[in-house]
Amino acid sequence: MATYFLRRMLLMIPTFIGSTMLVFIILQLAPGGPLEQAIQRVQMGAAAQGEGGGDSADISSGGGTALPESAMNELKRYYGFDKPIWARYLIWLGLYPREIRYREIKFESDEFEIEKRVGKLNGQVWKVKIHRDENDELTIYESDGSASETWYAHIEKITDADLHTGIVYQREISGIFTGDLGSSYTYQTPVTEVMKPRFKISMFFGLTGIFLTYIICIPLGIRKALSHGSSFDFVSSVVIFIAYSVPGWAMGGVFLVLFGGGSYWDIFPLGGFHSPVDIWEGLSLWGKIVDQLHHAILPIFAWSIGSFATLTVLMKNGLLENLSQDYIRTSYAKGLSEKRVVWLHAIRNSVIPIASGIGHLIGIVFAGSYFIERVFNIDGFGKMGFQAVLDRDYPIVLAFLVVGVLIRLVGNILSDIALATVDPRIRFK
Amino acid sequence: MMIFKKKNTSDKDKISLSIIKKRWLKFKTMKRGYYSFVILIILYVISFCLPLLINNRPVLLSYGGSIYFPAISGYVPGSQFGQDVPGEANYRKLKEDWKNDESENWLIMPLYPFSPFEDITVQGNAMFEQPSKRHFLGTDDTGRDVFARLCYAFNISISFALVLAVINFFIGISIGGAMGYFGGKFDLIFQRIIEIWSSLPMLFVIIIIASIITPSFFILIFIYTIVNWIGITYYMRAEFYREKAKDYVAAALSMGQSNTKIIFKHILPNSLVPIITFFPFAVVGYITALVGLDFLGFGMPPPTPSWGQMLGVGLQNMSKSWMVFAPVGAQFLTLLMVVFIGEGVREAFDPKVYSRLR
Repeated sequence: MATYFLRRMLLMIPTFIGSTMLVFIILQLAPGGPLEQAIQRVQMGAAAQGEGGGDSADISSGGGTALPESAMNELKRYYGFDKPIWARYLIWLGLYPREIRYREIKFESDEFEIEKRVGKLNGQVWKVKIHRDENDELTIYESDGSASETWYAHIEKITDADLHTGIVYQREISGIFTGDLGSSYTYQTPVTEVMKPRFKISMFFGLTGIFLTYIICIPLGIRKALSHGSSFDFVSSVVIFIAYSVPGWAMGGVFLVLFGGGSYWDIFPLGGFHSPVDIWEGLSLWGKIVDQLHHAILPIFAWSIGSFATLTVLMKNGLLENLSQDYIRTSYAKGLSEKRVVWLHAIRNSVIPIASGIGHLIGIVFAGSYFIERVFNIDGFGKMGFQAVLDRDYPIVLAFLVVGVLIRLVGNILSDIALATVDPRIRFK
Repeated sequence: MMIFKKKNTSDKDKISLSIIKKRWLKFKTMKRGYYSFVILIILYVISFCLPLLINNRPVLLSYGGSIYFPAISGYVPGSQFGQDVPGEANYRKLKEDWKNDESENWLIMPLYPFSPFEDITVQGNAMFEQPSKRHFLGTDDTGRDVFARLCYAFNISISFALVLAVINFFIGISIGGAMGYFGGKFDLIFQRIIEIWSSLPMLFVIIIIASIITPSFFILIFIYTIVNWIGITYYMRAEFYREKAKDYVAAALSMGQSNTKIIFKHILPNSLVPIITFFPFAVVGYITALVGLDFLGFGMPPPTPSWGQMLGVGLQNMSKSWMVFAPVGAQFLTLLMVVFIGEGVREAFDPKVYSRLR
């Protein structure tokens, strides 16, 4: 069993690498990325300044259209675009060191040693000496003359005037494998902090939705199978078809119009996870619970409606098929009561395909949640990912992907466990 | 199992019918599915003639002794018919004027005289008009007629889903079939590719691609094909895998049949059944997907009529309930019919006779 799950996890590694690499490349190639946005912001700022004052000649040369090279380099370095794409990917994974606390350095053509202030250490100014040899190899010494262990430097460019420019920097390995998802460009905070509250919200809806779906669909499917062909079966089939024919989020929109107080009844709030913070803070615990439920009923209903049909039909058909099997005939023949035959023999066998679907459903929690979060204006996980794609907030998009892959992994394992629980014939090897 | 079914469902003169005919006859007995099929086909065919039925240009117009066909020939300036308007003639007004003047000029307007594109810039149109006799389903945020747009969007949605389904099935069947038939390294490599591909957040990929190239009908189909061919390969691979091991394939092989012949002549017809029953449900999925993309604003370029775009407008203007009900209703009726067809097809291809003791 343990080896089986270990293999399962190991098999996820190539998938993980492959999909993250693919998304990484697509994101880097897509136009309108963070670098372009930043350049645009600086240019617009420069243009505005140029109109107001006139001292901006050094920032905007040529009417505010081009950035000076140093600013451009600075921006590129900030967003990591000074490295080739493979290096960026490895840095993101945490296999390749990041360059942090970098300072620019310059050597005149006849200059071979400079002193550079690189920050503070124990409250004192920290300076290092950088020595350059004929081949542009750099060596760094601390102020006491020993070779530096923490600072690195390299020459990046030699201009026509034989001016050697480069950077001095420290190295740090931090990436997915060390648990660092980076910082969001738009929120300016670590991605984990952006994700956490939103993930909880989506989890709340997803898990409640799954729970509700299962608790309604399984009994309904059983009832439909046992009274196959009756009027109850027919009516519930019609209802299920209706639910299947409109996507949950569109149905959510209809609910909002009907019950949101726009034109008809004013029963439920128009959206949001709970009431605005100023009202929310003043509520008692019970009031908070009621308020939360009040806001959650419509989205959860819209969320679960999509999987109602598939699950119910799966349950019904599974049970119907099992009821026509020989072993059921045998059970009846040996005099077992109908209750015992159905509940102990037939149902046990027909929940097998449903149990294995649990993991898949968990994956859908996130795929399907976006539209509903948008319709009901809930600041959840899917909406965050979508907004991040629009804003080209790459750290968030990639983190979204990583979480998605992890959830799929967990979902698969859950499916296997559920399958092994209901079907004792299954042995994992 | 098939033999039992024949005995159950057919009488004497049906016994020699081909399997396809039998299935068709069985499908016909599924009332819901069959009537949905007929209605949907009729509506879809009619929807190609929409410019003659729902349009603001007359089908036939007689002015000064000569005959015009503005609905087909397109733009005609108003000055040509003696109307004092900038740009195109306002035919609805023209008709009234000529009627009042008892002029000998005449024109025949289409059944529903509004086009899905004429907005508030045309005289007499207003934003968010309530549903009325004039505008069956009201007007939208730019004064365009909702009913007209709904009908045009029906054609686009169905066409999109059908074309996409055919292309996706073609690719999925080819690759899935090859994977199942050849197996080995080919299968292994493609399985990994598919695994990686299916783990991508496809909505995001589509959004990014849509931001690079402005989507049109065929570009959208292309993007969606890239994303969506995977689902069918699973079915096809499993089918081919199963069929390959059967005796008739071994027999064909031992008789020296080529791979091509075995694949296309022997295995393919045997493995198509689950795929065909899957087809209507794929269409349902694709229509829904297009509505979703249009809703987000990454689907058909405006001003293409689309249910998703209308729903988006409706959800932003909650008090204009017809803007929500109309597109959801249209989508619901269409999809319901397709689902009924799917149910019928499934029953016709795979009839399970459940026999219970009690």
